[in-house]
Amino acid sequence: MQGPAALQLTPDGRLKHLLTTEGLPQSLITELLDTAETFLSSQGQPVKKVPLLRGKTVVNLFFENSTRTRTTFDIAAHRLSADVVTLDIRTSSASKGETLFDTLKNLEAMQADLFVVRHSAGGAPFFIADRVTPNIAVINAGDGTHAHPTQALLDLMTIRKHKGDPANLSVAIVGDLKHSRVARSLIHGLRGMGCPDIRAIGPGTLLPGDLGHLGVQSFNRIEDGLNGVDVVVLLRLQKERMSSALLPSEREFFNLYGMTESRLQLADDNAIVMHPGPINRGVEIANEVADGPQAVILDQVTNGIAIRMAVMAMTLSTQQESQ
Amino acid sequence: MMGVVIRNIRILSPNSPLHQATEIGIEKELFVDPTTIKDAQVVDGQGGLLIPGLIDCRVNLREPGLEHKGTIASETRAAIAGGVTSVVATPTTDPVVDSPADVRLVLERAKASGFCRVLPTAMLTQGGEGHHLSEMAALVDAGCVALAQGNRPFGSRKIELNALKYAQSLGIGVILDSEDSDFAGGCAHAGQIGTGLGLSLNPSLSETLGLGADLDLVEATGVHAHFSRITTKNSVERIKAAKARGLQITCDVTLAHLIYSEHAIINLDPNFHLERPLRTEEDRCALIAGVIDGTIDVIVSDHSPHEPGAKLAPFPETDQGMSMSEGMIQSLIELDKQGELPLEYSLDAMTVRAARLINRPDLGCLQYGNSADCVLIDPEGQTHFDPTTWLSAGANSPLLGKTLPGRVLGTWIGGQHFPR
Repeated sequence: MQGPAALQLTPDGRLKHLLTTEGLPQSLITELLDTAETFLSSQGQPVKKVPLLRGKTVVNLFFENSTRTRTTFDIAAHRLSADVVTLDIRTSSASKGETLFDTLKNLEAMQADLFVVRHSAGGAPFFIADRVTPNIAVINAGDGTHAHPTQALLDLMTIRKHKGDPANLSVAIVGDLKHSRVARSLIHGLRGMGCPDIRAIGPGTLLPGDLGHLGVQSFNRIEDGLNGVDVVVLLRLQKERMSSALLPSEREFFNLYGMTESRLQLADDNAIVMHPGPINRGVEIANEVADGPQAVILDQVTNGIAIRMAVMAMTLSTQQESQ
Repeated sequence: MMGVVIRNIRILSPNSPLHQATEIGIEKELFVDPTTIKDAQVVDGQGGLLIPGLIDCRVNLREPGLEHKGTIASETRAAIAGGVTSVVATPTTDPVVDSPADVRLVLERAKASGFCRVLPTAMLTQGGEGHHLSEMAALVDAGCVALAQGNRPFGSRKIELNALKYAQSLGIGVILDSEDSDFAGGCAHAGQIGTGLGLSLNPSLSETLGLGADLDLVEATGVHAHFSRITTKNSVERIKAAKARGLQITCDVTLAHLIYSEHAIINLDPNFHLERPLRTEEDRCALIAGVIDGTIDVIVSDHSPHEPGAKLAPFPETDQGMSMSEGMIQSLIELDKQGELPLEYSLDAMTVRAARLINRPDLGCLQYGNSADCVLIDPEGQTHFDPTTWLSAGANSPLLGKTLPGRVLGTWIGGQHFPR
């Protein structure tokens, strides 16, 4: 396998880190989604507690602000009975001039078993995975605008639950794909699952110029792109896109790309609407769609806990068996 | 000094009457007719190739001020191992070279360390800050071969225009790094690989916009300008057209941009994090074609040694540049053996054309009366780049761990012999 993705698999193809969905084999994605489903109760809620990671230490290494992702990783680790340490590195060693490498070596010495890493630099979790001692697993919780693989997996889990096998679906991703690690990881995940029709919808300033080689079709008019799709994924629009002159205003974005009831009618009648959250009502999505029957946004949050439990359980079991 | 005759060699110096000759004499720092030397010491060239010493027109020697990255002694010694006998030193040290005293310091350190020839350059503006002109005449008097602004932007196009006009009026050549400062700063080419890795991007447009404006200023002033580190097909085409219009310009490309394209960064190896990003395969091929057709005058190493900590971080947070001097001739031989770039062209770029650029007709050509700078190589031999024998202070090199064709058997600089 080419690229840093090779780092995350053992020579016999099992998952030892989760760094990216790029190049992740379909069998592994399916195994992750199946495992995550076992962590859901019959009511569709994550099980309260299982002893799988008892005695293990999970370290949340957050070099970048995040409340939601960090919380779901916290909950997932607790549900697996792991001990959890959360380090907000921006306010600790990094500001004292300690290098990432030294921080890492110190944490290793504290006998951690799994690092959950969020960092503003693309590739930072790869840097860490490449240098940790062999018995530590690394999970990428978002690196720069590069990848956010657990988000992509929870999206795939949600899609599979509501719409079945992605190999038979059309999926439209709307908004700021250019600066979105969520979109990159989802596209790779969908491709890994054999999804034949992936569409990107947004203005020229927010779409990467080279989506064609990923098999993604680009649309600047939402009316053209939504036609008949089974899944609509909306991306969060960051306020800084206006200050960097990529967009005139939130109002204009909503007028051109906001998901309204009338636009949603262009999609398949049973289409679902997804959003990685937190949503901006009246910017990416109209109230009536956000609160309507086709939105599965809160279900994504629930699935996010199950997926993170599955990723932790699988990577740590690989590490354990290889010791 | 006793005269030396090097025998059992094949001379490769296409512009010289001695091209293909099998022996040459060295006496009192110069090449001489071997038959005129009495009691010569004879050196057996073992059937190797004798080439003019390479002239590397862009090397970061790091001294003064950045000795934790490299010193004039360590980096000129590394250069010799790569077949380089003269280096043009960038002025972007700390402090920058912008006074005659700085120039003299560099020259004295170079002389004291006693390895290869060091040809300093100095900043066009004081402190490199882009606002006030340097004392250009005094800097050239002190020994600078050209003035440059390095990777530092001019305060405005107006100041750049004044700097070029002033240099032109004194007959001083300038080295320009064309880049539009609004677009600069990204750590990867804005293409498939960089986009996929979610890195901050540097589009080709960054260079094109800068080059277009610089060419207009050069044309307006008539200054002799050298464009350093061009990376795109578009730049090659523009420079070709400008030369055809009669502009007195030259340009260079780094060795890395002839060997690697954007694909090299796929594993996020920080050694490939460069000031000028590696661009597309199409750009790389256009750069090679540019060297062959003469649009690109010289090849440089842009040798940039760093301390280990500078590269021990995620890719975007690492310092830019790679340590390359030590494998120059070996890399050129490899490009030749791969059928990418014939040695006659790459050698011409790093000898004859480089000598012309720095206005040193006594260098770059093996002929009687020229300075005795030459390298004896075994083209069938190999060089293994091993961390234990690595000479540069910067281990930030994709060469380490690799074996390349070609082996340096010995080097003479101004008649002084440096055995392997």
